[in-house]
Amino acid sequence: MQGKVGYFVGKLVELLVTLLLVSLLVFAAFSIIPGDTARIMLGPDASEAQVNLLRTQLGLDKPLVARYFSWLFGILTFNPGTSYAYNMSVGELISQRLPVTIGMSAIAMVMVVLISYPLAVLSARKPGRLGDQVCSVIGHVLFAIPPYVASLLLILLASSLFSLVTVGNYVAPSDDFSGFVGCLLLPSFAIALPKIAMSFKFLRSSIIEQRASDYVRTSKSHGLSDLKILVRHVLPNSNVSSITIISIILSDILGGSLIVEQVFNLPGLGRLLLSAISRRDFPLLSGIVFYLAFITVLLYFLSDILAAITDPRIRLK
Amino acid sequence: MTRHIHIVKVHHLTLSFPTRKNPNPKPVLDDVDFGIRDGEILGLIGNSGCGKTMTSLAIAGLLPENAEITSGSIKFAGKNLLEMSPKERRAMLGKDIGMIFQEPSTALDPLMVIGKQLEEVLTAHKENNLSKEERRQAIIDMLKLVGFPNAEEIMTRYPHQLSGGQRQRVLIAGAALLKPRLLICDEPTSSLDTVTTISILELLKELCHKLHITILFISHDLSVVRGFCDRVMVMRNGKIVDRDTASDILTNPRNAFTAELLTNARLDTRILGFEPIKVDYEKEPVLTAKDITAGYGRSLFENIKNKKSKDAGINMVLKGVSLDVYPNEILGLIGGSGSGKTTLIRSLLGLLPHTGTVSIKSDRIGVIFQDPVSCLNPAHTIKWHMLEALNASSRAKEIKGTGTYEERKARTRARIIEVLDICGLGEEYLTRHPNELSGGQRQRVAIAMCLVQDPSLIIADEPFSSLDASSSAELLKLVTDINREQHTAFLLITHNIHIVRQIAPRVIVMSDGKICEEGITSDVLNDPKSEAASALLAAERQIHGSLS
Repeated sequence: MQGKVGYFVGKLVELLVTLLLVSLLVFAAFSIIPGDTARIMLGPDASEAQVNLLRTQLGLDKPLVARYFSWLFGILTFNPGTSYAYNMSVGELISQRLPVTIGMSAIAMVMVVLISYPLAVLSARKPGRLGDQVCSVIGHVLFAIPPYVASLLLILLASSLFSLVTVGNYVAPSDDFSGFVGCLLLPSFAIALPKIAMSFKFLRSSIIEQRASDYVRTSKSHGLSDLKILVRHVLPNSNVSSITIISIILSDILGGSLIVEQVFNLPGLGRLLLSAISRRDFPLLSGIVFYLAFITVLLYFLSDILAAITDPRIRLK
Repeated sequence: MTRHIHIVKVHHLTLSFPTRKNPNPKPVLDDVDFGIRDGEILGLIGNSGCGKTMTSLAIAGLLPENAEITSGSIKFAGKNLLEMSPKERRAMLGKDIGMIFQEPSTALDPLMVIGKQLEEVLTAHKENNLSKEERRQAIIDMLKLVGFPNAEEIMTRYPHQLSGGQRQRVLIAGAALLKPRLLICDEPTSSLDTVTTISILELLKELCHKLHITILFISHDLSVVRGFCDRVMVMRNGKIVDRDTASDILTNPRNAFTAELLTNARLDTRILGFEPIKVDYEKEPVLTAKDITAGYGRSLFENIKNKKSKDAGINMVLKGVSLDVYPNEILGLIGGSGSGKTTLIRSLLGLLPHTGTVSIKSDRIGVIFQDPVSCLNPAHTIKWHMLEALNASSRAKEIKGTGTYEERKARTRARIIEVLDICGLGEEYLTRHPNELSGGQRQRVAIAMCLVQDPSLIIADEPFSSLDASSSAELLKLVTDINREQHTAFLLITHNIHIVRQIAPRVIVMSDGKICEEGITSDVLNDPKSEAASALLAAERQIHGSLS
């Protein structure tokens, strides 16, 4: 009893504590950034009295602790205030842009799984053979290409050579969902490429390792076919270790999408974040950073839970 | 089917591992020629690397991909196996030829419950068209046959929730489930304790008779095949050097190599002649454990399924165990596998959640585990290991003392060298890595790592079972020396009754998660009151009796 319920409760407490620390860190980081928000908003020509008035309106004159708690309350109720720059609710701004970033990350993740798994399985069948070596070399090359370079190369390829995809065209999901997915395919692929290589490399060695294990030998001696052994024993066991890697890849993809959005001119969180930075839009900036951190921490939490569900040994610890 | 006198006939088999650099290497199997008679138990004996396992894998068709059979043939019930397609050979596995292996701890898929893994044996062979309920019944019957009265319960367990002996029984159940004609057993007992070994051997013999299974039994230990095999073959460097009936080979070895193997099997009588020291049982114990109960949980989903019964969520392995260890004493703890010895140690050390209380007079207890290979970090030197142990100890400051960095460093080094010296390792070992040491030396390092912390108690969990007879005799001497000179108490978990008889003045016998007998060693061993203690003694006599 203690073992498993304790494990889940422990992980949940861990999640909450991490989020609290993240909120403190985010708030502290934005508080120590030099520069006066009110002064920046009003410009160098505004009088001291005007600046002071705005400061009072924004609540910037309150003590730090009070500001932290009112900010935390706003964040937790999904209402982190009004953006200075856009003059819109931060929650609304983020929820407008979130589908692009999340959609792109999700498509990239699907690509990673769909491409790296079959390749890893095929490669691991006969390690050291030509096919395996070709895959490994291509993997190394892809691993070395950062997503923004891959984006540019893909744009070149897709637009000038094949003219398959209209680059730089954005279709809102509410207008045409398949069009929305279509315009995200290429940027997603650019983010996915190095991650495909990473996941391939990891899975391949994990499958090779599992195939050499004693229980596979036992299954062989029971007369199980190679396919059955692969599906029922080798893959589930290599998945146990892959879950952690996949969660790291996912959070990497989320970060990568912020940059790729710029290259493909997509209205996602990344562009919102950059404009918030350049305009010193504290409520917007802290909102985006906190929610992104929240998604990442949540992913790790889910991967821990998933690992505990798949591996019966974890709960003992 | 026609009946053949020989169920398997290996005919002048030569096998090697050619590589691109060396296309004609020395053969691993060199002109191996023998037959296995229908219904017999044939022993195949030899040191590690002599080709026993390769012979068995060649028969089963599970050779590594880079192995090449250069000449010879293998016939099973008259059919030449080497001319069959891989698919035909696979169809024979499990159905005609079953196999069990040496290491039961890794031979089961850790993510799958036992019932499912056994069911795979049945579903892998389509021709026996059983319904789900029939399959379940077949598995329950087989698990009962291999000695699990609680078969339904075992089916829902994961491999890590079973002991080594239990896992080996599960593997035997899997191999025997389709009632194959030949069962290949590759060192099935070498990682098990004596009592479990005897019970596994008895089980195999029973299966051999009840299900009419022929057994090829591979082992490096001559004493194990005694009274078990009908005939024995001795292998050396890929060749069969001796073959005879089991009784002849053991009483009257004609071959010099067989005689040498026989001598090695007798070695553990070397430990005779140690004097146990006097222990004052009036003193306050160094370790007191009261009413320890512990167990392993089931998975979350099973728990939700079994919500009705409240205690169904946990499988108790320890049921209210209490014990005291007094200063200076060597307390022996014996019991068959699965009796809860290791679970008790883990609970005492606080590595496993448990109820009950454990109080330790000094906060310094050392532990020595069974497997010295994986206990040391291969990336670091012995000095690093010793330093780490020293720094983790609550006495680190005391030993290092005060003064400049150089002075403290010198004192630390002196202390480490002193401890290594006690353990029979010289100063030159400081810079060595674990892979440069033998198994016995590694276990010495493990003891030194405990000793450097100046513990009042060392818990040793089967510290000798992975070592050969001469190393374990030397280590045993070391343990008694430390006990006498450093006044360290030992809680010694072992399955070797010889050792307990010689060095432990007091002994505790565990069975089924409880302490079933405890007292002065000579009393317990000469006149055992409990069934478990009698069984242990009987097993010991059966294996080592006539040899020692």
